[in-house]
Amino acid sequence: MSAQGPSKQPCARPGIQLENLRKTYPDNVAVDDLNLTVGKGELVAFLGPSGCGKTTSLRMIAGLTPITSGRVVVDGRDLTGLPVFRRDIGMVFQNYALFPHLDVRRNIAFGLEMRKLSSAEIARRVNEAIALVQLQGREGRRPAELSGGQQQRVALARALAIQPSLLLFDEPLSNLDAKLREEMRKEIRDIQKRLGITAIFVTHDQVEALTMCDRIAVLNHGRLEQLGTPQELYERPATPFVASFIGRTNRLAGQARGKVVEGAGWQLAIAEPHHGAVEVMVRPHRMKLAQSTVASPEAVNRVKGNVVRCIYAGEVIQTDVDIGGQIITVEQPNAGSEVTPEPGQAVEVTFLVRDSLVYSGAA
Amino acid sequence: MLVSAEESFLRGSTGGAAMLLLPIIVISLVGFVAPVVNLLVFSFQKAEATGALLGGFTFDTWHDVITDPYYRELIANSVGASLLITVLDLVLSYPIALYLHRSSGLRRTILLVLVISPLLLSAVVRTYGWIAILADNGLIDQLLAKLGIINPYRMVFNMLGVVIGLTEILMPYMILALLAGFGRLDLRAEEAAATLGARPFVVFRRVTLPLSLPGILLGSLLCFVLAISSFITPKLLGGGRIFLLATEIYDQAIVTLNWPVAATLSGLILAIFGVALVAYTRLLARLV
Repeated sequence: MSAQGPSKQPCARPGIQLENLRKTYPDNVAVDDLNLTVGKGELVAFLGPSGCGKTTSLRMIAGLTPITSGRVVVDGRDLTGLPVFRRDIGMVFQNYALFPHLDVRRNIAFGLEMRKLSSAEIARRVNEAIALVQLQGREGRRPAELSGGQQQRVALARALAIQPSLLLFDEPLSNLDAKLREEMRKEIRDIQKRLGITAIFVTHDQVEALTMCDRIAVLNHGRLEQLGTPQELYERPATPFVASFIGRTNRLAGQARGKVVEGAGWQLAIAEPHHGAVEVMVRPHRMKLAQSTVASPEAVNRVKGNVVRCIYAGEVIQTDVDIGGQIITVEQPNAGSEVTPEPGQAVEVTFLVRDSLVYSGAA
Repeated sequence: MLVSAEESFLRGSTGGAAMLLLPIIVISLVGFVAPVVNLLVFSFQKAEATGALLGGFTFDTWHDVITDPYYRELIANSVGASLLITVLDLVLSYPIALYLHRSSGLRRTILLVLVISPLLLSAVVRTYGWIAILADNGLIDQLLAKLGIINPYRMVFNMLGVVIGLTEILMPYMILALLAGFGRLDLRAEEAAATLGARPFVVFRRVTLPLSLPGILLGSLLCFVLAISSFITPKLLGGGRIFLLATEIYDQAIVTLNWPVAATLSGLILAIFGVALVAYTRLLARLV
């Protein structure tokens, strides 16, 4: 495991603690001893491929899926074993799960009516929630008469109106088109920050997790791979899975001897000593194609290879280079003066030693 | 632009659509509308005791039927029994339909086949089955006797038998209609209600029930119409002692050969269907 930078510490008071949370089915383990603390007012993403246990974890927190073992503590209150309707948790579902037979106002009022508040108080809080998600003028509409984005806002307002101690999002943006999704990301983040509400955001979209959340929990096969800020996860991924799941990465398999890794026809310097089979990962845009020798104040790796293909993608130019049988991608910003290399051309790929991540025992 | 004949036919807006509807319109006119009109014409004619229609035009039969206390009771009994059967079917079928709606895969297929399989048997056979079960010294009486209980109730050849038999026979229709009307029912909406603080019963009352109302209305309409027009089951399970609209129409038309009365009673059933349909449409419109 590579070195991990100091994690940004959550606030002193935890908003939610998951202790050895576990869910097993007769034929598989969906969530395997998940331990996680989310600070009060923090927005944490559960990120992972489908089937990684992120939605199951969320449903266990909400009480919608019974837990096999472990504890869920929200604001110091142990929720384990408490039925859903006593948990006081707001949830925004993937398909919004609005009540189609009720108008916007009644949808948002539902949770307040359950709390037996006075009608004046309900009206006040519904108006507040409607203003928060900017749905004024749509109070009397049924969900079917609203656009996807508006339905999303109603779902958010409905969950916020009960002033929950915790807000859960289950892939809430996956049914929206790209432009609206970006807009809603900012809006959800703004509202969550303004209200200072603790929130967990389940997503399989790394961009969503990176741009919205304070910290990201990467899950794979029901296990927590890494928990950290977007920057930590991107710059210092703890495992090869995290490195390849968040952002794109080049993989070079070789044999390490101390601070040197050797592959078929190439040799690299690495920062920390390793031994045996290792995998070296470098982000495509941290690599450069060197036409001439440039002096660098930092330690630089140079690897010789042949261009396989070159893709002109407008803002960037991607070049696939064959290095001793392994193909790596080099991505350079299009500064306007770049000469696109021809296939078959011999090139030198350079990157900083500190930009290479080394994982031992990799395949 | 090159457009094939077939394509232009399918695209051809209203003209094409009307063409597609033509066969069913013709069949409906010849097979349904014309006979019904004919039947209504009978109800305004006089007839001899031998059954021969004399033609002419008179309101006498309608007047006699509507003012006769016997027929009034007959209509009230028929409507009442059909409503009772509908309610019983609804109460018995709703949980089954809900369970089916929420199950999936092989389990759902097997259960669905079980629901539909009674329809593969003729209602006559199923009715005789009920006679065997409900009759004096039948299956139920024998079972009770083994437990040392002597059943003091008659369960067949009376209204009880008719209600039991028809309720079971119409259950598959109710279940299928409920399922067809459960389209808006979404487990996620029920879960959302629970996260908002609704207890299971409140979730049912505030979310599940309102969302399943289209199914409830459809099933009730279908069951009521089938119950009031069913003939074989009341005839056999009633043992000739239970008089309902459908059995009376048969008696008047085939036994007494009084076609004007049979036609008038048929017209009344048609009117009851109309009322039920209007009620259904109104209620559905208020929902959506």
